[in-house]
Amino acid sequence: MAKTNKPRIIVRYDYAPALEQFETVFGPDFNIEAFDTDQGAISALDRKFPPPAALLVLPEQPTLQCHSQPLMKARDCHPKVMKVLMGDTIPLDLLVSLLEQRLIDRCFNQLANPDLIRSQILAAALKVQAPTSESLRPANAHDTPTPTVLIVDDETAATKYLAKQLTQLQDDFRIICADSADQALELIRTQSDDFAVVMTDQRMPGMQGKELLDTLKQSYPTIVRILTSAYGEVDVALGAVNDGGIFRYQKKPWRAMDLLPLFQEAIVLHQSLASSRLNTRSQTEREFAQLCRQRQIKLDQILSEPVQACAGAPIMTEFLAALTSIESLPANTSHIRASCETGLENELLQHFGTLIRQQLACLQTESAIPVGYPDKDTILAALCAASEQTGMVSNKTSSITLMCRALTTLLNASGQSWRDLAISEAEHDGRVTVATPTALRFYTHLLAPLTRISRPLLEQQSALLILFISVHRLGGNLQVIGGHQSCRLVLSFAPGLMLDASC
Amino acid sequence: MQLYVTIDQRLVRDSLLYQLLLHDDIDLVGESETGIDTLNRLPLARPGVLIIEESLRDNDGLTIAENALSLSPSLSILLICDTPVNAGRLAIYLESGIKAVVSKQQPIQDLIKTLYYIRNGQVYVNSLQPLDTGISTLVDAYNALSGREREVAQLMASRMPIKEIAEQLNVSCKTVHSYKDRIFVKLGFERLPELILFMKRHHHGAAA
Repeated sequence: MAKTNKPRIIVRYDYAPALEQFETVFGPDFNIEAFDTDQGAISALDRKFPPPAALLVLPEQPTLQCHSQPLMKARDCHPKVMKVLMGDTIPLDLLVSLLEQRLIDRCFNQLANPDLIRSQILAAALKVQAPTSESLRPANAHDTPTPTVLIVDDETAATKYLAKQLTQLQDDFRIICADSADQALELIRTQSDDFAVVMTDQRMPGMQGKELLDTLKQSYPTIVRILTSAYGEVDVALGAVNDGGIFRYQKKPWRAMDLLPLFQEAIVLHQSLASSRLNTRSQTEREFAQLCRQRQIKLDQILSEPVQACAGAPIMTEFLAALTSIESLPANTSHIRASCETGLENELLQHFGTLIRQQLACLQTESAIPVGYPDKDTILAALCAASEQTGMVSNKTSSITLMCRALTTLLNASGQSWRDLAISEAEHDGRVTVATPTALRFYTHLLAPLTRISRPLLEQQSALLILFISVHRLGGNLQVIGGHQSCRLVLSFAPGLMLDASC
Repeated sequence: MQLYVTIDQRLVRDSLLYQLLLHDDIDLVGESETGIDTLNRLPLARPGVLIIEESLRDNDGLTIAENALSLSPSLSILLICDTPVNAGRLAIYLESGIKAVVSKQQPIQDLIKTLYYIRNGQVYVNSLQPLDTGISTLVDAYNALSGREREVAQLMASRMPIKEIAEQLNVSCKTVHSYKDRIFVKLGFERLPELILFMKRHHHGAAA
């Protein structure tokens, strides 16, 4: 990687040896632009290319006033730039006030592990490069239920009293209390309430407050998190800021008059997080729907002709319709990026096309081999043979062999084998039915969101198309019953349905 | 740390697990060869961390990771890939909820270090630069050892017991132990095999 690809960071320093030390540790990873004046740092912030990943301030004596100018500038004008304070000793009060003014995103003691600092800045740099949707509109505030604030503390008398006070003071939000982290998680999981804010005490029996907030951050990213404690543990607070991204650190004892504006502010933040999430989701869905349409059109373009030539019917349409019936996980921004920023879409078409053509080429020589309507025993024998053969498909493969190989591939991909299949022969008309008793897993498929193209995926997808083709050639019918990330297959062969073997 | 490991090849999985289980705070709650098996067993095993290979026999490790996250969003996932990923792909992987990516080119120490960093749900990025395997810095650290420390390191690497080293150097066992501790701290090693491997690879061990 070229030197210019290092993330750009802006450092505002006071003391040359501190900078020197910083450069020794982080020089190999970052493009460091260092300034000993606020003005220099601010003008560097305004130079947008390449976008800076972080603004770091290394004050000699950390105070609320020091270097607040560039930090404020970053807060107000460059929201994607991570704001970091590094200092010898950081008093808890300073941290609390800096958080209150939203002047910092991370705060490290000079002695903090450089690996972690590096990792945090690199992760921020990767995010800076991510395209963001500019068209963020606040969601319509239609019938939003009253937001709920959850207070977690093992001192139930204190929480009850606070809840009562706050309830009397306002009607904007409801308050629910929990006496442990486990109870809080249970409430959040089970109650349909829109929890907007969680304020938790750090020291509790069982799971600690920070742990609870870390868990919530993963599972419920739109809940605004506040940590509170009567003990001035600056390390816990730093950890909660750096790892947990908490909104505030509230010192105890609580005063309803302080908490009221805090909760109101937190609820506003929650609402904007929730609505931007909603916006991102609907935008992602739209973008993916478009990508998916293009994929479908291109697949149809490159394959419908060779497939029709082989199967003698517009099988490609049936195949794509079957895929559409298989529900996948919703698309997210990582899928869109993979599709737009990497060669994924082209590779997918290319690899899938090649794989199908290879297998069809084996079929084309088949006219010499008699195609007969398969009975139960023929199918069983072919399935047994297919499960033992794992090598490449050779030339002169019969439709039934190809069909059984495709079935075997699909079953294997779901951890099943041909012995699991339900194969029956109707006595009155000799109709043979082959069905998958349990659903086959399709975690993702050709028309679903993808982040990477893998061999197993291509094999599974091509097996399904080959199954369509070979069943059709054998005069049978393939029914795909789509489910959530899965589908069931029913193959049926009736003597009356025989296709002419001329193709 | 409740750990689940999904690696196709038995030998690779065993070797990794032998290393990981030396750490007494790591508790193995399950292992699989395939993606399907992983997703089937994850809900019961309830791990905090999942180590999963990118290329699995039956599925794509990333797809399985995404599904695992949809089952339990607080799971921390470490993805092992065959070759180093570039910054663009890494950004996509992290965005999909994976906490860290380690390539098979990296030393085991990197993987263990990464595992500890991500266990509470943190993202960990080692470097966006081409990976320096740390060998040159390790050699520097070795060269910076005192003459006596190097001598002890060589004897230890030849698997000589501490007691015999003490006899040979005419010092007490306690002194040898303190040399040993210093060597391990300076080289960043935790166990003897790491020292032996380093010495073998860099031909210092041969000269006793």
